[in-house]
Amino acid sequence: MAVDRKRRRFFKAVALLGLSGRLWSVGHEAEARPLFPSPVRTNRLRPPGAVPEELFPLRCVRCGRCVEVCPYGSIRPLDIRNGVFAGTPVIDVTKVPCWLCMKCVEVCPTGSLQKVSQQDVRMGMAIIDKHSCFTWKEEGLLCHTCYNVCPFKETAIKLQAMKPVVVEDKCTGCGLCVHACPVTRDDGEKAINVQPVYSFDAAGSGHEGR
Amino acid sequence: MGLTRRDFLKRTAAAAAASYIGLRLPFDAPEEAMAADVDSWHIGSCRLCGVGCRVRLGVKDGRAVAIKGVPEARTSMGYLCMKGMLFYKLMGHPERLTTPLYRESKKDEFREISWEEALDIAADRFAKAVKEHGNDSVAYYGSGQALTEETYLFQKVMRAGLQTNNVEGNPRLCMASAVGGYLTSFGADEPIGSYADIEKATCFFIIGSNMAEAHPVIFRRVMRRKLDNRNSVTVINADPRISPTSRIADIHLMFEPGTDLAMLNAMAYVILDEGLADEKFIENYATFRIGKDKKEVTFEDYKEFLADYTPEKAAQICKGNITPEKIRKVARLFARSSATMSMWTMGINQRKRGVWANNMIHNLHILTGQLCKPGADSFSLTGQPNACGGVREGGGLCHILPGHRLVKKEKLRNQVEEAWGVPLGRIPPKPGYHTMAMFSAINQGKIKAIWINCTSPAQSLPNCDLYRKGMAREDCFMVVTDIFPTKTTELANLILPTAFHFEKTGVYGCTERRSQITRKAVDAPGKAMPEVWIVREWALKLAQKLQDPVIEKSVEPFKGLEPDYALPKAIWDEYTQKLTKGRDNDLRGATYEVLEKMADGVQWPAPTEEFALKGGTYKKFVRGIDPLADVHAKDDKPLQFYGPAHPDKKLWVWLRPHKGPEEMPDVQYPFYLSTGRIVDHWHTMSMTGRITELLRANPYAYVEINPSDAKALGIKPGDMVLVESRRGRNILPAKVYEGPVKGMVFVYWHDMDEDRMINRVTKDAYDPGSKEPEFKICACRIEKVSGPKPLKPYIVRM
Repeated sequence: MAVDRKRRRFFKAVALLGLSGRLWSVGHEAEARPLFPSPVRTNRLRPPGAVPEELFPLRCVRCGRCVEVCPYGSIRPLDIRNGVFAGTPVIDVTKVPCWLCMKCVEVCPTGSLQKVSQQDVRMGMAIIDKHSCFTWKEEGLLCHTCYNVCPFKETAIKLQAMKPVVVEDKCTGCGLCVHACPVTRDDGEKAINVQPVYSFDAAGSGHEGR
Repeated sequence: MGLTRRDFLKRTAAAAAASYIGLRLPFDAPEEAMAADVDSWHIGSCRLCGVGCRVRLGVKDGRAVAIKGVPEARTSMGYLCMKGMLFYKLMGHPERLTTPLYRESKKDEFREISWEEALDIAADRFAKAVKEHGNDSVAYYGSGQALTEETYLFQKVMRAGLQTNNVEGNPRLCMASAVGGYLTSFGADEPIGSYADIEKATCFFIIGSNMAEAHPVIFRRVMRRKLDNRNSVTVINADPRISPTSRIADIHLMFEPGTDLAMLNAMAYVILDEGLADEKFIENYATFRIGKDKKEVTFEDYKEFLADYTPEKAAQICKGNITPEKIRKVARLFARSSATMSMWTMGINQRKRGVWANNMIHNLHILTGQLCKPGADSFSLTGQPNACGGVREGGGLCHILPGHRLVKKEKLRNQVEEAWGVPLGRIPPKPGYHTMAMFSAINQGKIKAIWINCTSPAQSLPNCDLYRKGMAREDCFMVVTDIFPTKTTELANLILPTAFHFEKTGVYGCTERRSQITRKAVDAPGKAMPEVWIVREWALKLAQKLQDPVIEKSVEPFKGLEPDYALPKAIWDEYTQKLTKGRDNDLRGATYEVLEKMADGVQWPAPTEEFALKGGTYKKFVRGIDPLADVHAKDDKPLQFYGPAHPDKKLWVWLRPHKGPEEMPDVQYPFYLSTGRIVDHWHTMSMTGRITELLRANPYAYVEINPSDAKALGIKPGDMVLVESRRGRNILPAKVYEGPVKGMVFVYWHDMDEDRMINRVTKDAYDPGSKEPEFKICACRIEKVSGPKPLKPYIVRM
């Protein structure tokens, strides 16, 4: 298993290098960290139905069809500054969130975006920062914006004692709540943020496919 | 999608990681720094809805920088919604109107002019209209958001000065039916009880109100009451749409729009049929009435009348999820609970038979004796912060004078004329145009000059395209006083910039008869001035131009006073001391001095300062609580219904038949269209649309469609949908949602975009009694026009 895994990673690395057309120093540190840090991070997510981040840049052919079909302009291709990831699609939910119209998964030619139904989308998981959320932080403020805008209100987000609580296994990570959240922290993030928890495994290394 | 062990571990780890991230200490510091950065905190009322939350405005270097709640306030208990927390951003907003703007023709561009010139033009045009076309060719259209002093002074100048009762305001569009209901059922306007009843009620009957979004802070109290007493408190929600309010309901009554009158009569049927009525209460305090001439009939007649409203028949009319058993169950809960509190808003008021619907709710309370005891009340929620205080009490409608006096009654007119020191007979005996008649008169060219204050009828009137044509007429001179450009300023000749809340001093009167003062805390931007100053100066110029000393007399007591405090105080003193004396809204004790001492104002009746300092009257008509109940007592019963409208001093149970909406769906227009509100926005969005945080949450309106209807029409979430009626059309994104009952669609009315302004589609039918339009129901058709499209929010700018 371990050998197999290393072998696979090696091939992938070679493939990625080929794609980027650049040489990259491959030291023994690469075993602990991915070769290139993924552009996916808090509030910057892959579109619905995306395969794990380990596979995504390999499978995606940068055809741009998901970008084209997205009626809201939610999906944007990454630009050249993102090196090997240039051309792959992301959704920055603080700019334009995803309304789960599911058009992108229909047009993806490579299966990088797999066909899933709306409620099965897992772009990430919304997590409330209780230290900056108006309702959690301050007694007396009745902001339920994230609850109000959630497309799966009462399923993916609930009010407990009048405070919003995300239902972890139902949240699709569409980011409507992030976009609507009235709090913007000093670091640019909101009081509710989508973490791309399904894109990476717990240790931060690669996911072993499907 | 199953949850694998691996997924679960991943998620737990991520959640744990994120919660550690949440502990970042540096981020707590700026918040605290911000709170300490305020130079001073100024107490006042919230600018937005009718709840009357008390707030503290934080001021730093003369600028508004924060708002926080006031925990000592008996209305809000320190809670705030997002609108309330963020409205300070409107003070000093870069888009504020800061200088008078004028154009001769509505086709021209606006040019900046001085106040001197602006007031001269306004006076000149009003004087010209009066001289050439008579006194009724001029009109004032005000707002339930104007301060009491403003409404009072405007109507005084119009009535005593220009001798016309063409004094109206947007409360006609929101609570006129509630006024009609209270006057005809209880003999006196405004609720008997208070918010304090919420904590004592054991059954809530919420009908035609999405209070979770429209009155979030009061809803919190209802929700708290329910959550703390899950088993002993019942919440019944009656609404054709499942709204955020419904989530705390034990029973949701979902019927076809406009059929609730049958349901309410059927509830009364069950109450009498099953012997749930409080016979003693009825015998002591109630009579039965029918028809326009208010003919008194017997209890037996009422029972006979109700025989036509069996739950079986009503369920057939109501459809939706209504069954005869459900009606029985609700009626039993209503009657048997130790204290039932009904609450309603626009779903009941904005109807062709809004007054009747109000009467029917009151009927249930009278029949079961659920009145005048702790926790029991028939409680109408008001939409605007000063619809009750300024407009209902201050004389801001065409048929009423200050202090709940009817224009029609000579004796009452004379009282007002005497108090003002103007010649008897100065106030014309005929009520003026009500709102819909006023704008129809503009369409017909009968009104030559109109002053629109603090509201945007171009967007808020039903079937607004029709009335915008009139407002665009060159022969109707339009003055608009506002703080931001709106759909209405686009049609104005003269735009006058006004001071905003906390930039001037005055009183707001909220839903529960409570008057609360807000003192000036920051300066208005540019040349913006308080309305009271504008009216006074305008009236003085009018007096010159019309050579009429009585006009000058109407502002005589206020001449020379500085406009930020002394002027509104003098107006308030005149109104309360001279015009509420001896009336049911006796506010003589609620002087500025008293109001400033109170964290949360005073509830009338409050005849003396000593009584006002205790907070005033929590419940009207109860001897020992309401001082006027003792004054007006005619016998030794504990309740005294002394209201001015009922000569027999009794409560009236009305025999009102079921009546559907004006326009029913048909083959061509098969859907019901209903309109409403959303938590983040306020009315025509000219304020909340300019607060980024609020706009971002709800950037544009959408149409809510029931999933079964959407499926039948091939409409998917986000598709662009045409909503068309006989009057106009909108194209909005679809929200497919288990909200509206099948066969009904729902649209928020805040959006300013021409494509999403739903009042272009609504119907201008109105209640023949209250003259309040039926915004809530009309017939429309819907059709998918395209797939999803990116949309941009739209706000009118200069």
